[in-house]
Order: sequence, then structure tokens, then C-alpha cells
Amino acid sequence: MQLERLANIDRRVVYLLIAIGTTLPILLPIGFAVSTTPPVENLYHKIEGCGTDDVVMISFDYGPTTAPECTPMAEAVMRHCFSRGVKVIVLALFPIGGVTMAGETVENISAEYPHLRYGEDYVFLGYKDGAQATMKQMGVAFSGVFPRDQMGTALEELPLMQRVRNYENVSLIVSIATNVIGEWWANLVNAQFGTPVAVGCTAVSAPKYYAFLDTGQMLGLLGGLKGASEYERLILDGYPELRRIYNRTGVYNAMKGMDAQTVDHAIIMIFILFGNIVYFLIRRRDRRLGTA
Amino acid sequence: MAEAVGTWLGAFLTLCIFSFLYRDNPFFRFAESLFAGISLGYYIGIVSNNTLGPNLFQPLFTDFSGRAHLLIPMLLGLNLYTRYLPKIAWLSRISLAVYIAYYVGINMVQKLQGEVVPQVGQTIMNPIGGTYTPIDNLIIIVGVLAVLVYFYFSIEHKGVMGPVSRLGIWFLMLGFGAAFGYTVMGRVSLLIGRMNYLFLETVNATVAVF
Repeated sequence: MQLERLANIDRRVVYLLIAIGTTLPILLPIGFAVSTTPPVENLYHKIEGCGTDDVVMISFDYGPTTAPECTPMAEAVMRHCFSRGVKVIVLALFPIGGVTMAGETVENISAEYPHLRYGEDYVFLGYKDGAQATMKQMGVAFSGVFPRDQMGTALEELPLMQRVRNYENVSLIVSIATNVIGEWWANLVNAQFGTPVAVGCTAVSAPKYYAFLDTGQMLGLLGGLKGASEYERLILDGYPELRRIYNRTGVYNAMKGMDAQTVDHAIIMIFILFGNIVYFLIRRRDRRLGTA
Repeated sequence: MAEAVGTWLGAFLTLCIFSFLYRDNPFFRFAESLFAGISLGYYIGIVSNNTLGPNLFQPLFTDFSGRAHLLIPMLLGLNLYTRYLPKIAWLSRISLAVYIAYYVGINMVQKLQGEVVPQVGQTIMNPIGGTYTPIDNLIIIVGVLAVLVYFYFSIEHKGVMGPVSRLGIWFLMLGFGAAFGYTVMGRVSLLIGRMNYLFLETVNATVAVF
């Protein structure tokens, strides 16, 4: 009976332990070391190779439901571009909240770089419906599908957009994506227009993106919170002045999130091991008693 | 103050959703319905402001004769709503046919050129060359062949096909295991985000008010 009780622990006990394992590292950060991997380093080095004349397009293809994973990626990539003076074009193709996420990020990050000018150093195109059709049309001309930016200014009035007509004038596309839109940047835009593509995606969709990485259709991949924390590590090592931003107390970032992630994984692994051990003990006991 | 109220409201709704972990209750159902309703309203607003406005109405109002071709997608879009009028509901199929044909055309090329050809090309590899070690290459070749055999249903999985098919299952299980690990990481990340909201952002917003 004792074993049965162990095998049928109320699931709410597991929830409680996970809640504690998540909350404590948020309140008392541990600071686990973050090691970097080649898919993340590739994106970092690509942007490192960009100059002030290069244009990086960041597409917000996610909504608030996956913001804890995706926003740290978007912020880190944007900070990296802004720190190097690389020009940035921001757009959103995810319908439920993409443009809100993009707007908040542009507002927050551009405030950290007051010397950058809207329209010259960065542009926010806003959201457009019909992702694949939009991507395809942007290969002809951005203005064909985005006649105005998010603030309603005609694209031809923005100095940056006067020299950026289509993908030919873009050095890199970074899609921060949930689900399938990041895939379309690789199998549609990269395949048909040849523009380099990197994707920062939710952990759930990361495994399928590795296939595009192996074929060279994507040059970099940030997979979930771990990928975001790796990118933060790289920009902090490369740009120490960003430490004042990432070391702020009470502000969330992926490296802090990885503390809770690590503790939670340990709890889950312990429960998986525990459940299996109890299962085998019950099976052995039943065999011995001849009830199995 | 308005920002703080928004944060408190968010915290309350988060707790309403979390309450489902204990058991189903009216607070959870209220928050769930509110989320679904707000998402739909948000989507309608975004599409109106960001797509219909700048890409359809504004060009038509400013230069009707030069942009008259925009009437075609507009009429096709409106035609979709004829499905609510039983006598002429069949008309909506014309718009659906155009919509489906467009995306089938885009997807066929996209899938073949952007997925099938590159993925097959990458799998047809030199076993002792390329970017991977010969052992990695061997695992990829054996794994792909074994999984393909598992999904080949024209021959019964007996004789040689049996063990190869079972090996295919093992490779699939390894793939599912990796995917599950990533899924756990993703879901935990979302929980971290919410806990962070409850314990840091809400507290910060409250402290800022008082």
C-alpha cells in the first residue's frame, strides 16, 4: 500500500514543487554559467560581420503567449545591431500580438540608444496579414505591401527605406518565431531570394528547425530560452557596456530565466526517476506475490 | 497609475488561469473566455488598421482610378460572407477557390524548392565526407533508411523488414524524446515568464504607485 501511495502522488504536489522551483530562483538568482553553441554563435558572428551600411530585418513572428522565450531573443539581437550601428527594419507577421510585441521592443530598446534616429537607423513597418503572400511580395518591393510604416509615414519619406527596396538590400533576416512562420522565411525567402535567414524560435518548435540549419537554409538558430541566454552571454562578452542593462535587479532576462529552468528540470528529472523506480518496485513485488 | 492597474489586472487574470491547476472553476472559465474574446477583437482591429486601411481603403480613397484593381480582392473578400445567405451561399466558393488556388500554388513551390529538394539533397551524402564525422553520417543514413522502412506499408514488416522497421521506431522514439525535452523547456519558460510577472513586475508596479 505504501508503494501505491508513492505511485499516486497528487499531481498538485508536483505543481507546488515546480512553482517553488520557479519562484525561488527568480527572487534569489543563482547565476548558473551559460555555455554557447555553434548555431547561436553563427548568428552572433554574422551580425558582428555587419557594418553601419548593412540592414538587418527583424521579424516579430510571435505573440504574448510565447513572449518569455522570444522577447529576450528579440531584445538581444536588436541591442547587438544597435550597438554596432547596423540598420534595423522591424516588422511583424504574427497576427495575435506580433505588432504589440514588436512595438514594445522597439520602444524599449531604442530608448537605450538615444543617439539613433528613427527613419535613418531603424524603421518599424508594423504588421501585415497573410504571411507567405507578404513575404513573397516583399521580394519585389517592400513598399508594395507596406506602403506606410506603423506610424503612418509613407515609406518613401523614410531615408533608410529610400535605399532598401527589397530583399536584395537586406544583409540578414532574423525571424523571432513561434510555430511555422520562421520556417517560411527559410523555405520561401531564403530558397527563392537567397537572403541569409536566422531564426529564434520557441523550444517546442526548435527540433524541426535543425533540419533547415543542416541544409544551410538558415545560418543560425536560437532555440528557446536556452538559445536566448546564449545570445545574451555572447553580447555581454562582446559588449561589456550592456552589463548595466542586463544586471538590473528586478528585470527579467533569459540568463536569469535559465536559473529557474535548470532547477525545474532537476525537479522534473527527479520525479521521472522516482516514478520509474516506484513502478519497477511495484512490478517486482507483484511478481513475487504472484499477483501480476 | 493606469499602468499599475493594468499590471494588477494581468496578475489577477494569471491567478484565475492558474486556479485550474487545483480544479475547474468559474474564475478560470471567465479568464479563458475573456482571453478568447479579446484575441478575436484584437485580431479584427489589427487587420483593419494594418492591412485593410493602408493596403485597401486609403489607396482607393486617394487614387481610385489608379488603384481600381484593388476592388477585385475586396469583392472576393466580401463574397465570402454570402455563405450566410442560404440562397446564394454557393457564391462564396468562388472566393474560397481563388484563395485555395493561390496558397496551393505558393506552397507547392515553397515545399518542393525550399524543403523537399534541399532536405533530400542533404541526406544523399558522402559517408566519409562533409561536415560531419563518418560515424554521424552513418547514423543519419541508417536512421533515414530505417524510418523510411517503418513508414513503407506496401510490404508486410516481416523478415528483413521487421528488424529494420523496429530500428526505425527506435530512431523515431529518440526524435520524440528530444522534442519532448524541448517541449518541457518551452512550457517551463512560459511558467517562468508568468511567475516573473507575478513576483517582479507586479511588485515593481505596486511599489511605484505607493
